[in-house]
Amino acid sequence: MDFKKLLTDNKFVFLDGAMGTMLQKSGLKTGEIPELLNITHPEVIENIHSMYIESGSDIVYANTFGANRFKLEGCGHSVSELIRAGISCAKRACEKSGREAYTALDIGPIGQLLEPTGSLSFEEAYDIFKEEILAAEEADLIVIETMTDLYEVKAALLAAKENSDKPVICTMTFEENGRTFTGCSCSAMALTLEGLGADAIGVNCSLGPRELMPVVQEICRWTTLPVAVKPNAGLPDPVTNLYDVSPEEFAEAAAGFSEMGVKIFGGCCGTSPEYIKALTTVLGEKEFIERDVNIPSAVCSYSNTSVIDQPRIIGERINPTGKKRFKEALKNGDINYILGQAIEQAQAGADILDVNVGLPDIDEKAMMVRTVKALQGVTDLPLQIDSTIPEVIEAALRVYNGKAIVNSVNGEEKSLETILPIVKKYGAAVVGLALDENGIPKSAEGRFAIAEKIMNRAIEMGIPKRDIFIDCLTLTASAEQEGAMETVNALERVKRELGLKTVLGVSNISFGLPNRELVNSNFLQICLSRGLDLPIINPNVPSMTGAVRAYKLLANIDKNASEFIAAYNNAAPSPVQAAQTGLNVSPEGLLYAVRNGLKQDGADITEKLLETTDPMTIVDEMLIPALDSTGADFESGKIFLPQLILSAGVAQAAFEVIKARISKDGDSVSKGKVVLATVKGDIHDIGKNIVKVLLENYGYEVIDLGRDVEYQAVADAAMPDDVKLVGLSALMTTTLKSMEETIALLRKVKPSVKIVVGGAVLTPEYAEKIGADFYARDAKATVDAAKQIYG
Amino acid sequence: MINITSIDREEALRWLSCTDESSISETAAAYLDECEKRLLAEISPKYLYKYFPLDFDKGRPVIKDCVLPLEGNDIAAHLQGCTGVILMCGTVGSGADRLIRLMQVEDMAKAVITDAFAGAVCEQVMNTAEQMIAEELSGKYITWRYSPGYGDFPLDIQKQLLNVLDAPKKIGLCVSDSGMLTPVKSVTAVIGVSDSPLPQRLRGCAVCNMRERCRFRKRGLHCGF
Repeated sequence: MDFKKLLTDNKFVFLDGAMGTMLQKSGLKTGEIPELLNITHPEVIENIHSMYIESGSDIVYANTFGANRFKLEGCGHSVSELIRAGISCAKRACEKSGREAYTALDIGPIGQLLEPTGSLSFEEAYDIFKEEILAAEEADLIVIETMTDLYEVKAALLAAKENSDKPVICTMTFEENGRTFTGCSCSAMALTLEGLGADAIGVNCSLGPRELMPVVQEICRWTTLPVAVKPNAGLPDPVTNLYDVSPEEFAEAAAGFSEMGVKIFGGCCGTSPEYIKALTTVLGEKEFIERDVNIPSAVCSYSNTSVIDQPRIIGERINPTGKKRFKEALKNGDINYILGQAIEQAQAGADILDVNVGLPDIDEKAMMVRTVKALQGVTDLPLQIDSTIPEVIEAALRVYNGKAIVNSVNGEEKSLETILPIVKKYGAAVVGLALDENGIPKSAEGRFAIAEKIMNRAIEMGIPKRDIFIDCLTLTASAEQEGAMETVNALERVKRELGLKTVLGVSNISFGLPNRELVNSNFLQICLSRGLDLPIINPNVPSMTGAVRAYKLLANIDKNASEFIAAYNNAAPSPVQAAQTGLNVSPEGLLYAVRNGLKQDGADITEKLLETTDPMTIVDEMLIPALDSTGADFESGKIFLPQLILSAGVAQAAFEVIKARISKDGDSVSKGKVVLATVKGDIHDIGKNIVKVLLENYGYEVIDLGRDVEYQAVADAAMPDDVKLVGLSALMTTTLKSMEETIALLRKVKPSVKIVVGGAVLTPEYAEKIGADFYARDAKATVDAAKQIYG
Repeated sequence: MINITSIDREEALRWLSCTDESSISETAAAYLDECEKRLLAEISPKYLYKYFPLDFDKGRPVIKDCVLPLEGNDIAAHLQGCTGVILMCGTVGSGADRLIRLMQVEDMAKAVITDAFAGAVCEQVMNTAEQMIAEELSGKYITWRYSPGYGDFPLDIQKQLLNVLDAPKKIGLCVSDSGMLTPVKSVTAVIGVSDSPLPQRLRGCAVCNMRERCRFRKRGLHCGF
């Protein structure tokens, strides 16, 4: 019999209890590496396993929880040695017991935070876990436990699935608010991990059994997988560190979990063989209850689940099609522009964001990965990965921290064959376009038939029906007027007869017509009333978002109109954009706006001034002096940093207006290029970003390499002839070394480039010592350096 | 674990090198309010501590039953006369990092303000934690908080210190390869404990190793150390 059989049998499965608690009892010093005992005192470890098996555990966790290369660094033994030794201890205990017991490779958190909060990349995390998994071929199964970051679990689970064929149990640690430290929710965990192919999921550690009840209940709602629960023995006393729940109470509470349909039981911190004994005794008298769950259609980020039980808006703005500014941003790798688009849509009411970064002359895969990683650092909206290239889709799904939608597959054989396996592997949802090698069928019947074909193929592949969304395709009404209602009819049939969710890009309907907004919002209304679930629209257009909100109100989805009222009734104007009446269109007016942080006024005044004044005159004679005067006030301590930045923001708004005017005339406003980077190892980049804002507002073009930047990446970016200045930032004494290395490399590859450095721990002397040309004590000083170089 | 309902604005403004609150423009003042509100909604302050008996070996402090070394002359001087030591850490949580990241895209001025507010919250968390610890230890005398990186007390013990406290698992506080605490708004510290009154330890610019590059000092201000 193997472990998979245990999972499918109609019985409870028993895990073991705490290892750490037992080791402390046998004299482990605080801070010592517990895995070393696998080699120094294997008998102690084996004995603990034996006690657990005797008390009823079907599965024992090998003493490998922290056996990763980060935690073991400098301990004198390799990951592989300690894992092999740990698994041997557990295996010996299983064999000697004469019972059917299994050994699990126990994988705990690496001990370092992953990007974006930490600096460990997803790929490195994968690699660390892969090393552990490869060392454990003797184990019967793999357990990934005590995780608080869904991203880390994903790295571990992918590593397990791709490097072994063992079953995997994933358990995370939740707080009483139903979330982990990093904000992961129960539904996001369940949707993501079931999609990725975990064999069982659940919760361990965290709290005592009683406090975990609501968490476990929630997990049970969101997964069809067997659920595992391994609680602590209550809550620890902060001083004595002793736990407050007895074995009997523990088992009684656990019996409550069995009523919810939990299948796998064990104990975590503070538990011992007595707790497992009590568990097996109490549950021995109970029957395992098979859960009957009906999981709704839903997608999620690590923290935000969007349930498609009502119309949800997919924001379409992250897409370069027909957008000059967006294309420029993609070519320049200007990720902040793209992030800005995300935040704007989120604030406007988008529920999900479509992400398309396809452009003929860029590396779409690399850009997609970078964009997805950056987006999930600033927004919790679930993403829809929009690309025609399977490799791009796969790369995006791999690094996505949640359950995404893939946009799209279609009825063509080649598309079905390449896209659906990727969707299945990563557990995504998928948009099926109702077209095939013969194009888009004119009739609703034709599109329905393709939708049905896509559905059947996806189901064959193991993709559940709830994760298949059909796009019946909007045609342009001005070209094919009779087509509009065919789309609507097809959509209605797909929804009613196939029972699938529907998705539709709406804006295309009005192409070539006047008053497009009117046509769009009316078409949207029609579609919604006939069953559209996922309109793909520009949420920044109030009539479009409004149409969805009004529909939800009228269809009695938005109960008590609470969302509608929240959106429109309480729409207090932002305090920052306080109404300014009577624009003072003059150089003084612009100066006033800049000094007082009045962004809209600054832009409006500039717009008006441009009617009579040369753009460069406004820049050189008004904006730059205004910035200089606020800069001087900042230096003398009259105003504080946020005010300087606010002023810079106004100047930026004015610059945008001027840029739009100049680009019409085909001129350029750039005063020169500056490469900026926060050095390798350093993830706190707020200082660098302040510098960026100021430089841009003085008219410099900034190539922002971000944070934790490899030496070589800085060197590469500095190579073009027109880059004369590189700015480096470091916050920590420990990363000054990286700054020095980066400078050394720059000096080697491009001796002519000037380097300005800044950061909290730098001194002018140190800057000189490591070979920088300029020391910037603050952001303003970097602008002064740029002025010296470029004028 | 710690409920914080308002942020020490004076402390935050000090971080922003703002000495005169009345000089703040209306726009910036509105930003301060907004940032405070949004930050308070995102934080989840937590702390941890452990008490250990302390020994001295040839004048060097040694923690009993614990593998954490206390290296450097400054920590030895700080713990002089102590019989025990509290290892502690606190964090504002990763929500603050997330908000600051978002604001750096949304509006840099908000990001700067929120960054300072988050620093102030972190200080509040540590102060509250210290107060609670002091109450637990009533009847004893304690030193002020001494953190890795002060004086010659090495920064690179962060990993071990967090490990001893089981901080990654218990409150999600980790350290990166470069020695940076993550979440960023976090602090670790050592407090000496004694049964008898302790001599006043020196504080202030004179004994600070940031003396030569301190941005507060440059402006004639003081960081609070």
